[in-house]
Amino acid sequence: MATAESKSKSTPLASSLFGPPPAPGEEVVERYSRPVRILHWVNALAWIVLFVTGWFFFVDQFGPAASGGISGVLHRIAAVVMVGWAVLYFLGSPKAAIKGMLEALKWGKDDIGWLKAAVPYYFFGQDEKMPPQEHMNTGQKLWWLMTLAFGALMIVTGAIMWFGSPTAILGILHDVGFIALFSFAMVHIFLSLHPKMSGVFWSMWSGTVSAKYAESHHKKWYDKIKK
Amino acid sequence: MADKAILYDATKCTACRGCQVACKQWNDLPAVETTNRGTYENPPDLSADTWLKMKFTEVGSPPDLRWVFTRRACMHCTDAGCVEVCPTGALYHNDLGFVGYDRSKCSGCGYCVEACPFDVPRYSGNVITGVREANKCTLCQDRITSGYEPACVKTCPPGALKYGDRSTLLAEAKQRVADLGGKATLYGEKEVGGTHVLYVLDDEPSVYGLPKDPKVSGAVTAWQDILQPVGWGIAAVTVLGLGLNYVIAKRKIKVESEGK
Repeated sequence: MATAESKSKSTPLASSLFGPPPAPGEEVVERYSRPVRILHWVNALAWIVLFVTGWFFFVDQFGPAASGGISGVLHRIAAVVMVGWAVLYFLGSPKAAIKGMLEALKWGKDDIGWLKAAVPYYFFGQDEKMPPQEHMNTGQKLWWLMTLAFGALMIVTGAIMWFGSPTAILGILHDVGFIALFSFAMVHIFLSLHPKMSGVFWSMWSGTVSAKYAESHHKKWYDKIKK
Repeated sequence: MADKAILYDATKCTACRGCQVACKQWNDLPAVETTNRGTYENPPDLSADTWLKMKFTEVGSPPDLRWVFTRRACMHCTDAGCVEVCPTGALYHNDLGFVGYDRSKCSGCGYCVEACPFDVPRYSGNVITGVREANKCTLCQDRITSGYEPACVKTCPPGALKYGDRSTLLAEAKQRVADLGGKATLYGEKEVGGTHVLYVLDDEPSVYGLPKDPKVSGAVTAWQDILQPVGWGIAAVTVLGLGLNYVIAKRKIKVESEGK
């Protein structure tokens, strides 16, 4: 079992937002490999560009910001980066990519239990009824499935609008995807700030999470890797 | 201000295409290189550089062959699909009732091209980068806002095109249709909320290649007037829900850990 590096990579602001990173000497486990983290942050950046430039078309008041077509070019570049990097990641580590996608499809009784326990858990911190979770908890599985499904919708409708014709039906589908992904992304980002998830941000930043966190939030996974 | 309009009387038109040339000249549009297709109708279609063209149609067969002419250009609809979808406000309704166009605001998205029930706007540009620019007839907005008639009207030798107050032209068109009798039709009075280009036709609109009941598609309306406001609602509920969760969780969870 590894321990956290002595150097703290956090800043006071980041620590107050996301909770402190694992303390020096604290027992940690690896949660996200470097390729996964790079994929995550490249994606995050592309999404922000896509969201903001997409917004200009969604809200009439922001519309003039799209004049001249610069935002359209940025939208296309970000889309290519997002898709391109995912393809590179897939080619680089196909096994890990497929394993990651399948992870979200495996549902059991503990996932039903998660759905039942989620509200008291995330609002009031009641963990008595929260069943032990895998490497991905049910919420993460949902988010991952949404991302894959709506991501595919966005890529397909976006490509047809780009190289074909931007009809109203495609616009509707692209907007439905936008609304869904935007709302879920808000939840996703918000959870890194949630008091119950204190410190989890650092697992996607430096790759490790404290053993304590792993055990309390992902018991089934923790038990597996501890063996 | 009273709505202005153009009245096109197909029964007076000789298809000299002087209007096409005047349109290009006034709007500084380049000629389009075409090949001989065995018809006087040229260029074959509207384009970003051709905002007005005469359509030639042969109806029936000899000895009852008729040659009918139609003016193809922006109809300046009251319920304009292009204005509805335009995200940047480049397409807008002018005080005079026509659909104005501010090229500097265009984003090149191409939504207007798909939303138009008359298949009028066209864009030019690069497909790969998406840097494009839509174009269409503006009813010579620079001329009419200065009190001049549109270039096509100015030049029309047989007087098939007239420019003026829409209500005056409408009355005139109705009188003309009554005088013509038979299958003569007025087109544009009520279509898509009333167009600002009115047609006096000698036959059914379909004979002239005009849609019988042009409509902005339900998808366009659902997209712009329902889905987008609903989207804002969902986003607002999400943000409020998360804010509520944060406030409650911050209090409750801190209390719990302090109690441990």
